[in-house]
Amino acid sequence: MDNQFNDIYRVTADSVTNPGNLKKQRFIEEQQKQLQSAIAHRPSGIAYFENMMYSGQPATGSPRVGYFCNMIPQELIAAFGAQAVRIDCGNSAAATVGEEVLSGDICPLAKASFGKFLVSESPAASCDVLIMPTSCDAKRKMGEVLNDIKPTFMFNLPPEQNHERFMSQTVDQMIRLSEFLHKHLGVRLSRRRLRDVIRQYQRRTLMIRSIQDERIREPRSLSIRDFFLIIQSSLFSMVDLDEWISHAEAVLEEMKLFSADRKNLRPRIVLTGAPMIWPNYKVLNLLEECGADVVADTLCSGAQSCVDPVVIDETGKKALIRALTNKYVYASICPCFISQTTRMNRIIDLVDQSRANGVVNHSLRLCQLFDIENYRIERTLKNKQVPFINIRTDYSLEDTEQLRVRIEAFLETLW
Amino acid sequence: MITAGVDIGSTTSKAVLLNADTILAQVVIPSGTVPQDTARLVFDQCCESAGISKSHVEAVATTGYGRRLAQFGDMVITEIKACGLGAVFTGSPDGSIGTIIDVGGQDTKVITLNENGSIDDFAMNDKCAAGTGRFLEMLAVKLEMDYNAFVESALSSNTMIHMNSTCAVFAESEVISLLARNVDKCDIAAAAHYAIAERIGSMVRRVGCKDVVCFAGGGARNRALVSAIEEVLDRSVYIPEFPQTMVALGAALAARDRLVKGDQS
Repeated sequence: MDNQFNDIYRVTADSVTNPGNLKKQRFIEEQQKQLQSAIAHRPSGIAYFENMMYSGQPATGSPRVGYFCNMIPQELIAAFGAQAVRIDCGNSAAATVGEEVLSGDICPLAKASFGKFLVSESPAASCDVLIMPTSCDAKRKMGEVLNDIKPTFMFNLPPEQNHERFMSQTVDQMIRLSEFLHKHLGVRLSRRRLRDVIRQYQRRTLMIRSIQDERIREPRSLSIRDFFLIIQSSLFSMVDLDEWISHAEAVLEEMKLFSADRKNLRPRIVLTGAPMIWPNYKVLNLLEECGADVVADTLCSGAQSCVDPVVIDETGKKALIRALTNKYVYASICPCFISQTTRMNRIIDLVDQSRANGVVNHSLRLCQLFDIENYRIERTLKNKQVPFINIRTDYSLEDTEQLRVRIEAFLETLW
Repeated sequence: MITAGVDIGSTTSKAVLLNADTILAQVVIPSGTVPQDTARLVFDQCCESAGISKSHVEAVATTGYGRRLAQFGDMVITEIKACGLGAVFTGSPDGSIGTIIDVGGQDTKVITLNENGSIDDFAMNDKCAAGTGRFLEMLAVKLEMDYNAFVESALSSNTMIHMNSTCAVFAESEVISLLARNVDKCDIAAAAHYAIAERIGSMVRRVGCKDVVCFAGGGARNRALVSAIEEVLDRSVYIPEFPQTMVALGAALAARDRLVKGDQS
């Protein structure tokens, strides 16, 4: 394939030796682990997911492909025999590293993810190639910066969804991505392998859906933080998917057996907005500590990431790629598309389905896309008499107590 | 039925003793470093001033930033809910209160109430001290004035200057450069009050400005801030007789209501 970047202005990447910062990153993870150990009811097998999130699978020798966002099909990467690992980062200490090199005035997710590349021990730095969708300005520009460190493919997203004209353009992007992977990994994409991988990932989707349904029925059977941990351990770290599925199945079986002694009077919340990525569970901690049950979410790092199955109509290579495009790009609720209808529909459906008492929007400071979307979401939900609050924050923990007052006061209005 | 509300704020702590619909006593003390001790102290003083034995108090509700830090009291509510309850009880001569502005030491809140007196919407300042009482206190120190003189001098100013920064730290350097340019201290004091009032004004517009607008919290005792806010909002605001204890009163009311509800069920 033709090159996306010109090598003539290649810049040597700064590498950072900052052992104090690595220690702090570990400390932040440890702190979150501690907070979660205080959850009243946890699945007996949660340690597996914790370990995966923490350290992941030992290196298998297969190449690693790092990708950003929920719009890159892991199935396509896995079909090339590579390990797919999502490298968006939620660690506030990593954001500090990124800030020192890149800029302070970009969103914490972009800063932290970039920061991970500057520290040689991180899984991000061990990737062979990277895939980055143009889902926001930070990512659009970070691609070329990262390309100086690792070969990076920029996945050009269309501005509009559900339009035939853009469909062929996006399928072309998928094919170009396949060419990129073929060139760098030296493997040919086989139709049969792709079909098998899609089927394997459908089982994961089904598993997450079933857990989600069970949580809507009885949210006390699994904390939202443990649910996020389970989901994210299969995205953000290297796992053997079959092993993960069998562990998740055990969690689901336990959930079905859960019976509570008392009636549940906790308000039911639908969470929407910007992604929360381990260990940035600040708002989840607060919501649960203040007495709410997050019964459903539209976060691209939460249940939304696996909610739609890939639907296969035909099994030709192009048809499979079209099916992946449908799920990953056309069903996406990302605010990077010009219309927020897909996301609005999803929020309203979830409020009905999960019998929620209110909606909490998480807007990540310096992410204009989510921030501006808040305006129409707030008005639409309030017109529907759905209580709504917007929580604007970043990765740092310094505003925890101020947020606690806001969240508590919001929950008080629901009773 | 006697209940108490204890509001542990960042600068001052307040307690109110309530017997059904009558306020028996209210006390304001500076907050110490240990919320638990402060809570006990203000509660004890309040009982003493009412001449009531502590054992006669049936329930205590805590609120304010120290509401959970203090291992004290029988129930906890947020200062936002407490403020709403306090405002509904206090009322105003011009009808029921629609919007409350509460300027405290560490944060500023704007709350709107619906027709039946429950909270409709609210906004709070962000994580730093911009737009709070502490900002004014710090600038008074920078101008080498005591707080009352600072307020009085702001009221005496008749030249309008602009202060660009509401960040408590950056404003200090702005004050220094204004002083270096020989700007009158009272104009700087007035500008500081306007800077805060404009910030509060935009919070009010965000959540909605509904009749009657009530101004509570320690900030309401600052006449220069009141007049700056009235000018920014282009309307008069109602200041209750005891603006500082409205939140503590709301907590005492919440404890009373919970007791009544408990007796019925």
